[in-house]
Amino acid sequence: MCASVKYNIRGPALIPRMKTKHRIYYITLFSIVLLGLIATGMFQFWPHSIESSSDWNVEKRSVRDVPVVRLPADSPIPERGDLSCRMHTCFDVYRCGFNPKNKIKVYIYSLKKYVDDFGVPVSNTISREYNELLMAISDSDYYTDDINRACLFVPSIDVLNQNTIRIKETAQALAQLSRWDRGTNHLLFNMLPGGPPDYNTALDVPRDRALLAGGGFSTWTYRQGYDVSIPVYSPLSAEVDLPEKGPGPRRYFLLSSQMAVHPEYREDLEAIQAKHGESVLVLDKCTNLSEGVLSVRKRCREHQVYDYPQVLQEATFCVVLRGARLGQAVLSDVLRAGCVPVVIADSYILPFSEVLDWKRASVVVPEEKMSDVYSILQSIPQRQIEEMQRQARWFWEAYFQSIKAIALATLQIINDRIYPYAALSYEEWNDPPTVKWGSVSNPLFLPLIPPQSQGFTAIVLTYDRVESLFRVITEVSKVPSLSKLLVVWNNQNKNPPEDSLWPKIRVPLKVVRTAENKLSNRFFPYDEIETEAVLAIDDDIIMLTSDELQFGYEVWREFPDRLVGYPGRLHLWDHEMSKWKYESEWTNEVSMVLTGAAFYHKYFNYLYTYKMPGDIKNWVDAHMNCEDIAMNFLVANVTGKAVIKVTPRKKFKCPECTAIDGLSLDQTHMVERSECINKFASVFGTMPLKVVEHRADPVLYKDDFPEKLKSFPNIGSL
Amino acid sequence: MQSWRRKALWLALLASWLLVLLRVFPLLRLAVPARPWAGAPQGWPRWLDAELLQSFSQAGELPEDDPQPPQAPRGGGHCDWGACFNVSKCRGGGLKVFVSPVAGPISDTQRGILASIESSSYHSVSPDEACLLLLLGPEAPAGECSPVPQQWNGGKNQLVLSLHPALCPQTFPPGQAMVAKASPAVDTFRPGFDVALPLLPEAHPLRGGAPGQLRQHSPHPGVPLLALAEERGGWRMAGAESPACPWDGRCEQNRGPEQTPFGATLPNATFCVIPGHRPEALHFLQALQAGCIPVLLSPRWELPFSEVIDWTKAAIVADKRLPFQVLAALQEMPPTRVLALRQQTQFLWDAYFSSVEKVIHTTLEIIQDRIFGASAHPSLLWNSPPGALLALPTFSTSPSDFPFYHLQRGSRPVGGFSALIWVGAPGQPPLKLIQAVAGSQHCAQILVLWSSEKPLPPRWPKTTVPLTVLARQRKVSDRFFPHRAISTDAILSLDAHSSLTTSEVDFAFAVWQSFPERMVGFLTWSHFWDEAQGGWGYTAERTNEFSMVLTSAAFYHRYYHTLFTHSLPKVLRTLADEAPTCVDVLMNFLVAAVTKLPPIKVPYGKQHPEARPPLAPGASVQQPPAQDCINQMAAEFGYMPLVSSRLRLDPVLFKDPVSVLRKKYRSLEKP
Repeated sequence: MCASVKYNIRGPALIPRMKTKHRIYYITLFSIVLLGLIATGMFQFWPHSIESSSDWNVEKRSVRDVPVVRLPADSPIPERGDLSCRMHTCFDVYRCGFNPKNKIKVYIYSLKKYVDDFGVPVSNTISREYNELLMAISDSDYYTDDINRACLFVPSIDVLNQNTIRIKETAQALAQLSRWDRGTNHLLFNMLPGGPPDYNTALDVPRDRALLAGGGFSTWTYRQGYDVSIPVYSPLSAEVDLPEKGPGPRRYFLLSSQMAVHPEYREDLEAIQAKHGESVLVLDKCTNLSEGVLSVRKRCREHQVYDYPQVLQEATFCVVLRGARLGQAVLSDVLRAGCVPVVIADSYILPFSEVLDWKRASVVVPEEKMSDVYSILQSIPQRQIEEMQRQARWFWEAYFQSIKAIALATLQIINDRIYPYAALSYEEWNDPPTVKWGSVSNPLFLPLIPPQSQGFTAIVLTYDRVESLFRVITEVSKVPSLSKLLVVWNNQNKNPPEDSLWPKIRVPLKVVRTAENKLSNRFFPYDEIETEAVLAIDDDIIMLTSDELQFGYEVWREFPDRLVGYPGRLHLWDHEMSKWKYESEWTNEVSMVLTGAAFYHKYFNYLYTYKMPGDIKNWVDAHMNCEDIAMNFLVANVTGKAVIKVTPRKKFKCPECTAIDGLSLDQTHMVERSECINKFASVFGTMPLKVVEHRADPVLYKDDFPEKLKSFPNIGSL
Repeated sequence: MQSWRRKALWLALLASWLLVLLRVFPLLRLAVPARPWAGAPQGWPRWLDAELLQSFSQAGELPEDDPQPPQAPRGGGHCDWGACFNVSKCRGGGLKVFVSPVAGPISDTQRGILASIESSSYHSVSPDEACLLLLLGPEAPAGECSPVPQQWNGGKNQLVLSLHPALCPQTFPPGQAMVAKASPAVDTFRPGFDVALPLLPEAHPLRGGAPGQLRQHSPHPGVPLLALAEERGGWRMAGAESPACPWDGRCEQNRGPEQTPFGATLPNATFCVIPGHRPEALHFLQALQAGCIPVLLSPRWELPFSEVIDWTKAAIVADKRLPFQVLAALQEMPPTRVLALRQQTQFLWDAYFSSVEKVIHTTLEIIQDRIFGASAHPSLLWNSPPGALLALPTFSTSPSDFPFYHLQRGSRPVGGFSALIWVGAPGQPPLKLIQAVAGSQHCAQILVLWSSEKPLPPRWPKTTVPLTVLARQRKVSDRFFPHRAISTDAILSLDAHSSLTTSEVDFAFAVWQSFPERMVGFLTWSHFWDEAQGGWGYTAERTNEFSMVLTSAAFYHRYYHTLFTHSLPKVLRTLADEAPTCVDVLMNFLVAAVTKLPPIKVPYGKQHPEARPPLAPGASVQQPPAQDCINQMAAEFGYMPLVSSRLRLDPVLFKDPVSVLRKKYRSLEKP
């Protein structure tokens, strides 16, 4: 109080007394102070990001300074690869132990330079790509620096290209690794296997039980389910900037861009071009390029020069032909260009074929059939071609485009084998993001009509309306297929009535007391629910007849994956306000049903309680409203299907209680409900509700037919 | 006073700069390379000269490597599809199979296999035109190990098939022949070339087969978590509470209370643990049929049809060396996954394993897919209902063209509908009907199938939609021929006698769009088991339930025409041609067998039985046609596929006491 008075006196007096010069001075001073404070604040945040990046933690060294290891000439050499190795014979899973995250731990040996007895290096210490690869692993979740906790070991000995290493000495270097143990759980990466003259299709370095991620496997060397087939990385992926080109018809139908093609195959290709003319383009290396032009980036046809890899974007299909090796880097370029690869390499194991469905992105043609390639490709419908182009591009983006992508996909495949119950699905590996977004995988996809004998469990949510509750219990117990009745007592301040006071009914009646008065308690997956069908019913729904309820259950049996309810509601797009609106008028369409009385599968209770997106569940509990709209959204979103409205019933309120809810109450109610729809649609990121024009009635409903012969005569009131 | 203030301000300035410096200083210290911080995880080092490292392939090396000449196909133990199978013989009609005559006595199973191939579209009568020669391998009961057959030719384009591999050792090397045998060992199996079959029990039904045992989607709360396959057959139940001794065989003393004799009952548990030895493969099918998720412990045998079936969706292949880890993973598996796995077991059992015929057809379909190459079944068709045997790749290779995969693909059926009007013997052009149908805004075209002896009328009514007349349709089954002229996914099948209003057509089409895989019709029949006759019967009387809709007025997907013509056994189509009224039953059988769901009924204005269109010339209205036909079909299918429904889909305001002006489908309610 005192201070404020002082301020009031002194504050205004201070400023007029100052000279203009001083004032500017003060303002400058204050702004400097302010700047200083802001800068301080900035540094508060900046250093964190710098510190967390490992740049700051790791010793800065040169590759040339790594320790040198001398390999004696007589040091042991591992056995040659064991072709019969499988995960359950050669892999030591005990090292992977129990792991709550279901992720393998990968250790990387530190980099050493290996020399032989005479001091001659065994290989280049490390290539740029292998360095990138190890860096990618080290930055991933798989990495551990604790050799004792590791399940997989990656040597830092670079064997990506067999031509740059000395085979025997490299093998000796492997054998002296601290945890080598016959190569168990060791993973080697190799992209260019074999060497002249016979070019083996797998790395020639003896490696005993080590797993090999290899870039040119054939069916003869690939150990199914043990090795991993990886792509040959194309350096052009990083060097060339190639904007994406969408699918669709292109200038050339078939293109061959490889330079080193065996004369016999080249003859075949030339023959195809001769036969089909303009639509086929067979390129070769350029012979008369001027100095300074990168020959890797040019291709020629007679005297015409084409830019590579840009020319690949002009073709629908691109030939990927076996060279000396089965794996060709051109595959990566072709996929990137959205050109469908035509793989002509007998016995080649395509990259990541254990998980990728290459049928969706490529055409494999036997070498013997090369001359028929054109007609084989022509039989593919245009729609399928476009699908394949899209898929090819997606494979490149996800699994080919960088060394990191290749490394992580390899580790994921091995991880999936070790923790099969947490493995990625076919769809997760193969579906491009656009398909993943648009598709729905119904959790109850099996067409199955549950037996009537199973019956349903009625769940009544109640607070304190005991009299009305008892009436509901008595009414519902008349339904023949009721198998259990569960009362959810949502009032913490009051005990439920004594056992003796409850109505005597023919089925078990259980009372569950809740810890908190929440609307979501109605959708909790109680252990007491033994049937698949659940009838959620409010404690004031006394107007539904036994016929209506029984028929509702029968309808649910035919549509067990849907919400089956009585009064229907609709969502509408309000063009003026540009938002969704809740509609309870008696329209020709429905998109929701009220859960004041509705049948559904008990699995949706699990989803509602544990898998509801965003904060919807808490929001509903806080607002004490819209739990039924939330359920409608949830079910429609996960199944992609509409609700089923049964019988003509339009509302739950009994006719005599209409006076209670006045017009204004109704208005606010509608506004609130509309808000719910908008809120939920934004959380779901889409409007999952489906609008339909039908409802389900008994077969003979309102037919000119004797009432007493109808199964469900007592249906029809609104 | 002023100087004091100035001093204070300077002080404040100084203090703030000090603060700034204090924050910056440690940074400056950090910027100087120093020893790594103790305790921080050490990743792969960032080399100072990383930029200078050489690429693993020097520029120009990759493309320059020496090309290799074409290889001669290698024989012997290693064969793959490209090298050892001659596709050129299969050009044209797809896969044609000739069954090499069996030397010696023929077993029942072999007879069944023969019969099922003969009735299929793969069958070929001469070895010269066939592209695959099928050789039935020695069967366990016959026990004779056959010598190298005639026409062996090194096994090229041959398939040696043995459902019950005999115990005798392989008498001749398979060479270039593909081997399809039950549960082959992983070591000798040639992926992409051999075919892995399921190990079937001796008494596996030839046709039809027992349906899956799953009655509900999610496991019943009271069901035990695990059933363990026993070495001597049978299953031992283990509850979730007693995970003490999982499966390492060391807990013989702790027998579970329930022990089931071999083959008598199926396991009733959520997971079925099956050891990896080959004899246990028999348990695998039992688990599938029971809807019990198979947990295979390091199996030494190839899973059946592993080339096309994605077993990760239906089974768990785990390492037997980690029992407790696997057990923990099973106990903690999220309900969503359990639900999906359970349902997939049932789908796979029903689609590929429940009968010998399905197993044989699946084998041939796999080989045909290899021949088709790019136009083979996409993986989705193999791995989701109704399965690859019922989704023909000759119809389309794009899943969105079928009625079954719209949800997975996020697509919708395309176009309006094509009205197919079948004009029978009286040969009167159905003018009124054409007008009513053409009045629908969804009608895209009208096709008149003229099967009458009478000449075509010269003039047809003017319609807003194109009207095409396809003359000379003779057989009744031609009605369901996949005519090229049909341009929409939806077909409205009509008889010349049918009478429908535009309103009825519009509403039925709206309903069909929600259920594109089912038949949506107006008039219904229901089937029943006739105790007195000991057979199936069906009635046209109005009852509280129905299981068939008449094709004289029904919507369905055009794919069913392809299926009707190309997949149904010829016997059935002949049956329909001979007794024309059977064609309705047959179509309903077909759709129900595919969808396993009942058709859908929508309201039909004309309620009086006498107003119903005659079913067929000569047939009386009240009396449904020969009851025999339904029994013959049930026999041919091997089971009764029809499913009953107790509901009808009406417009939302149908016959409600509200103003007619509010209703969209008003004329539906006229008496």
